[in-house]
Amino acid sequence: MRNLPGPDPGTPDKRSAVAYLRWLVRRYWRSVYAAIAFAVLWMLGQAFVPAIVGRAIDAATAHNRHDLLMWSLVLLAAGVGQAVSGVLRHRFAVVNFLGGMFTTVQVTVRQAGRLGSALSRRLDTGEFVAIGTSDIRQIGSAIDITARGTGSLVAVVTVSVILLTASVPLGLVVVLGVPLLMAIVGLLIRPLHRLQHASREQQGLLTGRAADLVGGLRVLRGVGGEAVMGARYREESQRLRVAGVRTARVESLLEAAQVLLPGVFLVLVTWLGAHFALDGRITVGQLVSFYAYAAFLVTPLRQLTEAIDKLTRGHVSARRVVEMLRSETDLPDPADPVPAERFHGELADPASGVTVRPGELTAIVAAVPAEAAAIADRLGRYAEGATVDGIALGAFELAAVRERVLVADNDARLFTGPMRADLDPHDRGGLAAALHTAAATDIVEALPGGLDSEVAERGRTFSGGQQQRLRLVRALIADPGTLILIEPTSAVDAHTEARVADRLAEARAGRTTVICTSSPLVLDRTDRVLFVEHGRVVADGTHRDLLACEPAYARTVLREGDQ
Amino acid sequence: MNNLLPVADGPRVRRYARDLFRQHPRELALTVGLHVFAAVAGLVGPRLLGDLVEAIRHGKGVGVVDRLAAAIAAFVVVQAILVRFAYLASARLGEQVLARLREEFVDRVLALPLSTVERAGSGDLLTRTTRDVDALSRCVRLAVPETMIALITVVLVVGALVVTGPLLALPLLVAAPVIVVGTKWYLRRAPAGYLRQNAVYSTVTDGLAETVEGARTVDALRREQQRVDRSDADLRRSWIAEKYTLFLRTVWFPVIEVSYVLPVVATLLIGGWLYVHGTVSLGQLTAAVIYVQLLIDPLDRLLGWLDEVQIGAASLARLLGVAAEPGEEPAVAGADPAGARIEVRDVRFSYVPGREVLHGIDLTLEPGERLAVVGPSGVGKSTLGRLLAGVHEPTRGTITVGGAPLHDLPLDRLRTEVALVTQEHHVFIGTVRDNVAMVRPGAGDDEVRTALSAVHALDWAESLPDGLGTIVGVGGHPLSAAQAQQLALARLVLADPHTLVLDEATSLLDPRAARDLERSLAAVLHGRTVVAIAHRLFSAHDADRVAVVEDGRITELGSHDDLVAAGGPYAALWRSWHGERIPEPADHGGR
Repeated sequence: MRNLPGPDPGTPDKRSAVAYLRWLVRRYWRSVYAAIAFAVLWMLGQAFVPAIVGRAIDAATAHNRHDLLMWSLVLLAAGVGQAVSGVLRHRFAVVNFLGGMFTTVQVTVRQAGRLGSALSRRLDTGEFVAIGTSDIRQIGSAIDITARGTGSLVAVVTVSVILLTASVPLGLVVVLGVPLLMAIVGLLIRPLHRLQHASREQQGLLTGRAADLVGGLRVLRGVGGEAVMGARYREESQRLRVAGVRTARVESLLEAAQVLLPGVFLVLVTWLGAHFALDGRITVGQLVSFYAYAAFLVTPLRQLTEAIDKLTRGHVSARRVVEMLRSETDLPDPADPVPAERFHGELADPASGVTVRPGELTAIVAAVPAEAAAIADRLGRYAEGATVDGIALGAFELAAVRERVLVADNDARLFTGPMRADLDPHDRGGLAAALHTAAATDIVEALPGGLDSEVAERGRTFSGGQQQRLRLVRALIADPGTLILIEPTSAVDAHTEARVADRLAEARAGRTTVICTSSPLVLDRTDRVLFVEHGRVVADGTHRDLLACEPAYARTVLREGDQ
Repeated sequence: MNNLLPVADGPRVRRYARDLFRQHPRELALTVGLHVFAAVAGLVGPRLLGDLVEAIRHGKGVGVVDRLAAAIAAFVVVQAILVRFAYLASARLGEQVLARLREEFVDRVLALPLSTVERAGSGDLLTRTTRDVDALSRCVRLAVPETMIALITVVLVVGALVVTGPLLALPLLVAAPVIVVGTKWYLRRAPAGYLRQNAVYSTVTDGLAETVEGARTVDALRREQQRVDRSDADLRRSWIAEKYTLFLRTVWFPVIEVSYVLPVVATLLIGGWLYVHGTVSLGQLTAAVIYVQLLIDPLDRLLGWLDEVQIGAASLARLLGVAAEPGEEPAVAGADPAGARIEVRDVRFSYVPGREVLHGIDLTLEPGERLAVVGPSGVGKSTLGRLLAGVHEPTRGTITVGGAPLHDLPLDRLRTEVALVTQEHHVFIGTVRDNVAMVRPGAGDDEVRTALSAVHALDWAESLPDGLGTIVGVGGHPLSAAQAQQLALARLVLADPHTLVLDEATSLLDPRAARDLERSLAAVLHGRTVVAIAHRLFSAHDADRVAVVEDGRITELGSHDDLVAAGGPYAALWRSWHGERIPEPADHGGR
């Protein structure tokens, strides 16, 4: 059996959903065909069981011990063969399922990497995430079901042939009657599915409500409200109970129908068969096997229905994957990029008039913080507009810009895994120094595993201030030529903020650093401050100069205008 | 999976499950009874089919055959009706039991002492609340009734076989040891294997979600290759986990499948031999062969659901474990506070024995006073806040309110004395009105509005799509962190305790808005004691007194003006804020 996941999946076929599914099958063709072959064997083994049992009973009726022994052993062989082919089919089917799933994960992660920051601008992130939570399973299931679907089809055809050879009229009753029965049950199931879906959703809501209570437990402990929240939960829980019983009422009718319809049909076949047997048109053994076949056919037909359902869902999911694979970045590399060596000199944003002198610690203060963030986005080429030494950033390869300019914002995601791997993935060293600069040494020291401790999703176990300092550590270790920090100390206390501002200036000495902030503690430690109003630089100088000469600036950073 | 909270032991789980069903004896009897009758009705058909075969063999007339067919049809109808009511009865019982289980669990969670939650972290509790409750629902709704029906059917089919001909039931024994040994082997390994498989699988999907949601960060830090490697490594681990369970099935599936066919073969051989020797009739043989085949389906279902039952039991153990936690006994009596003065005397506190966070705090809070607590991160400011709010009990020393020990007050009484709002901004699922009114059941719309307006939140709250009736929280109308913080403060205004502890309660607001809000809060809370833990210096400037906390001690305490005049660390910080260059203390490193 091959090992999963395969190596780099290469370029998937993204012409259409069907093409994508076909591409997946081609990647795993050996196990897909093996699974189909064993599924056919497995189903045929089951299909022949009633016929073999019928022969054995006929042999007993005829007091033919030799034939009885022979058919019993044939049955045993069929059973063992069926068990073996069944498990082999299962093994290959699991490989197909996981293969389809894993490959889709691989191409999705690679595509996310290609899109980068463009991802959220080009696609709905939720839709992208849905690929990971549901689509990959649907696609895996679609590849998986090919085997059982084919096997069932073969079984249905085979049984039809067996029955029609034994007796054409009786065979026709069974061959036409069973699908009709299935169709009727299928029709009955549809409203039930809707009800079940609704009640599952209600269950999900209730679970969400409980999770909400757990999430807010500390808040409740602080100000109270447990009684009210508990009562509301009970109310909804009772509502779910009533809804559950309502669903069960319909379900119970369906359960009854599933006993009644096939049961009545079986009686009909048996009654007809009995008359045929009385007339001598079939043997007693054949009567018993007719009975058995009518019961057996339900299984492959149900699997065929399942196959159609899964292929449809797989197709829908594949369409979403293909759509994702087709989207392209809105920050494309130029056909003829300017060599990366020419990336030096003054970084500027003509739209706002911001200029960043190399080697200096520059601050951007905006009365509306979002304006500073927009400028930072342009300077880091998350949007077009900025230049370096007069050359548009868009004229370079994006990778060259990313290598030289790092924009670190407070939405930056802390990644799960050992903390060391997130802070310093390339083992560049300088971790201790960066921790010191960001005043984050105590955070690591408080962790039982130190730097090897696991970071929870989004760094949730850390407070806002701790997360912020860890993000700063990460940015410092990346050590870019130009570092643009957006509000890097907004969530830490004044003592720590002052400390970080001092150490930051020292650590970045000689490198270019831009800080978007309005904290006087930080501003006082910068070389040059640009004050932005309505998206344009209106004043430029040191913090002290601006405090002294720009009343609007003083109002913004000291917030004393209303005193 | 980390079980940070305790897990109930086996006997406790079994006792609880037994008690649960004992509380509904009538429903349980009805359910089991109906299922038994339904199964009996289902078994008559094959038996009559045997008679039918016999009738044909003996050349009985068309009349006999028709009557038998009609009888079989009648039993099918009866079985269908019984199945309907049996199903409904078991669903009713199941839903009842389930509702009770989850409600009791949530009640226990809500009563959990906060120190327990803090110690264990909310992750484990959240897993129990979501995954374990869901797993148990699945178990009670599907696995329990299915195994019950399957078990009943198996017992009855075996019974029918014995009635048909005791000798014809003997071939069954061929399969029993194979099934028992094989299944035991499988069940010993399966639950752990599937749990691991699911856990690893969620690292794959979580990792993918992280890559997608953090795409900008990945781009900025050029971590594309790292994410690809990480995802491939997760997939490899997932494959290893899947391969293990696949191995378990590769062994178990063929074993039980062969053990299903063995009794059929044995029945044909032995029954055929008995028939040839005239010991059993052809009808008995036919019926026996059909019965043996009828056993396959319920047996398969029974075995298939066994691991679900196991998983359900494990989930139940974790749910019950939350109650098994020896809670801090709520105080019963305790002295009644006389007045609102809070006195802190030589309070020491450690979360972990041997690692003291606060080393002897002395502080008196006069009623109506505004105290600002400032100091670097991680020196124990928040811990002091929690102690003042009665969340934790001091390891040593005392905190009294109006002379009564704070920690001895019952929870609902405590809340009328002291309330705590932290920077944690949780918005509960529900309307804006619910989110505020939850602290005072029965609070009217006017009171909610007043509270909202006191925190400058009424304007935006009323402009929401459905005004105060707008659903907020997860899945509802999104609120900004600042708005969430305003809601938390509105709750506090409505709860109206005489002492409030605000731990960075306005840190998420825009600095200017925060200052405005704090001022208007001060007006509303006039006469209330307020302890404000803050990192913004203007909060301190506005307070009556400032306490500077450093390394678990109060190092400076006095009014803003006194402290600035004293020229200590607080003064240095204040001057720096105002743009006066100050010499850095040596250990901070100058520029």
